Amino acid sequence: MKYCDKCHVDVQTNQKYCPLCHQVLQGDNDETWIELYPKFIPLRREVLPLTKKIILFITIVAIAVLLAINLTAWEGKLWSLIPIGSILYVFMIVRYGVLSRQNIAFKLALLTTALILILNMIDQQFTEPEARGWAINYVTPLALLSCNVAISAIIWIRRINFRDYIFYLLTIMVFSLVPIILCLFNIVTVVWPSLAAFGLAIFILLIIVFFFPKSIKDEIKKRFHF
Amino acid sequence: MEHIRIANDWYRLDNAAKIFPAISTKKETNTFRVRVDLVDTIDMALLQQAVNLVLERYPMFKVRLKSGLFWNYLDYNERPFIVLPLPQRVCGSLSPKEHNGYLFQIYYWKKSIVLEMFHSLADGSGAFALIKSLVYEYLLLKGLKITPDNLILTRDSLPTVEEYEDSNLTYYDPHNHKHVPEKRAFLIKGTPISDGNIGLISATIATKDMMDLARANEASVTEYLTALMLYTIYITHIQYREHLKENKKPVKIFVPVNLRKQFPSKSLRNFTNFVKSGMVMNRSDISFDEILAETKKQFAYGLQKSELIRKMSENVSFEKNIFLRATPYFLKKFVLKIGYNMMGLLLNTLSFSNLGKIDFPESMQPHIDKISVGVYSGRFNTVNFGVVTYKDQFSMTFTRSIVETTIEREFFRHFTSKGIHMTLESNYVEEYR
Ligand SMILES: [Zn+2]
Repeated sequence: MKYCDKCHVDVQTNQKYCPLCHQVLQGDNDETWIELYPKFIPLRREVLPLTKKIILFITIVAIAVLLAINLTAWEGKLWSLIPIGSILYVFMIVRYGVLSRQNIAFKLALLTTALILILNMIDQQFTEPEARGWAINYVTPLALLSCNVAISAIIWIRRINFRDYIFYLLTIMVFSLVPIILCLFNIVTVVWPSLAAFGLAIFILLIIVFFFPKSIKDEIKKRFHF
Repeated sequence: MEHIRIANDWYRLDNAAKIFPAISTKKETNTFRVRVDLVDTIDMALLQQAVNLVLERYPMFKVRLKSGLFWNYLDYNERPFIVLPLPQRVCGSLSPKEHNGYLFQIYYWKKSIVLEMFHSLADGSGAFALIKSLVYEYLLLKGLKITPDNLILTRDSLPTVEEYEDSNLTYYDPHNHKHVPEKRAFLIKGTPISDGNIGLISATIATKDMMDLARANEASVTEYLTALMLYTIYITHIQYREHLKENKKPVKIFVPVNLRKQFPSKSLRNFTNFVKSGMVMNRSDISFDEILAETKKQFAYGLQKSELIRKMSENVSFEKNIFLRATPYFLKKFVLKIGYNMMGLLLNTLSFSNLGKIDFPESMQPHIDKISVGVYSGRFNTVNFGVVTYKDQFSMTFTRSIVETTIEREFFRHFTSKGIHMTLESNYVEEYR
């Protein structure tokens, strides 16, 4: 025990100074004493944030360079959007798919949605008019279908985490309705992929409703309570 | 215990808890700490076992925060809870990555068990219930003969609905929720501690000395210390400098009030309100006695039941506002953040929590040496203060996000100048820059 004769307090420490007035404390160090609070170890700057920064930096530079080339040598088309979209997608895969510790259903749902948006953009902007529509006709419903299968498979294999994944499964199911609605408006011209995606979504939904009715009710209650 | 988990595997956030996820950041962590020092060195493996047992009794704490469309909620957390060695950082943010999503953490160090908790989970009463149960289980595992004496929630009883009810919603009054506008408070400025660390200085005096001091001034301990805090801020920051712009603002101390003493609630979640004591320090001859008289008046007013209900109902009616409720959470977050910065954070100079007297069964007391509490300090409320009484020890803890210790020094010298014996400890954050 040490003493500060200015503040008139006993201080339990082997440190040199009084925490109140920063004057040297009186008394000797007790070699057997372990400090009441651990020593400060400066934050180990983790590798991860640095990796993230580098990836972000490369992404931004690449996008800027592509845009600059595209605009200086203008040929009437914004072709740089294709590589920029791809770069952004790769960035998302690394950032949210690999580096993030979010649950895998979330990753799948996010990456599928992003892929669909980018491919539809490419389809609309850069495909010859007669070949246009491949993204909305085939890619969109089939990507949703695969995503549905993947999340269901994960749920089926890893029963324990059922509750965490069901929300993303429901989200993808709602998305699966979009192509079939677009069919009705003749925007989607090839029906079978959309129908397959829709059919599978309904099939999985029925299974959940029949065999796990409480879990789906709970999940909806939780996510939408207000 | 399986049946309990299935029956209640998710919880709505209580009225007070709803705000914290929206406003908390790495600097404004909204966490607090409770520390219990035992007589012997902590056995980490036994502590881990004890935590696992205790969490069966506290399903409402075995949760993590998840986001819904309109509100966040607490969902059953299947991941293991792991006790950790105490870090130097006091009341840091509980990142989901390092803490498996749990909103509280148990640390061990030497002879101490430290509980740090995010305010969305519970208030000081809930935290103390948890750590008391933990110490009980821990001492049992050590093979000691102890009894709970109805002071501890043990695994012999089942969790009840009353324990996780939101008592704010039970006791509020829909007709008494008038909003009373407030002025911005004086803020204590200083040099931020590097790395966003928090300095902690804790003093212990004899409970009797504290009681005698308050009694001699015909005040409660909380009133006395609040007045002393106002006086300390006055002499260290304002006196003879009243003309400065910042110093014209009122100095306001935010004092949480445990509503379980006013209402028959058994809730382990947030059920606190507050009293504020404040003063515009516009003269250079304000005396301590003058401040104390004013503080006593403000406490008498603020502690009236109708006033406590008004403040509670104001919060509840805000939460129940149909426009706010129907807004998706990602937008609501901004509303809450702006509202809290304007109406919460900037209206207080300092917060002072008195956790009161902590009782342990007589059979456990010989194994428990000391208890202390602390709250986080942030960007605006740079200094905060927490006190707790255990047997003959009265523990007072300052936490600060600034380097300067002027307030601590003058505050504690007030006691030593009266000849009161004081023991001090510090985490010496300034030595590790
Ligand atoms: Zn000193």
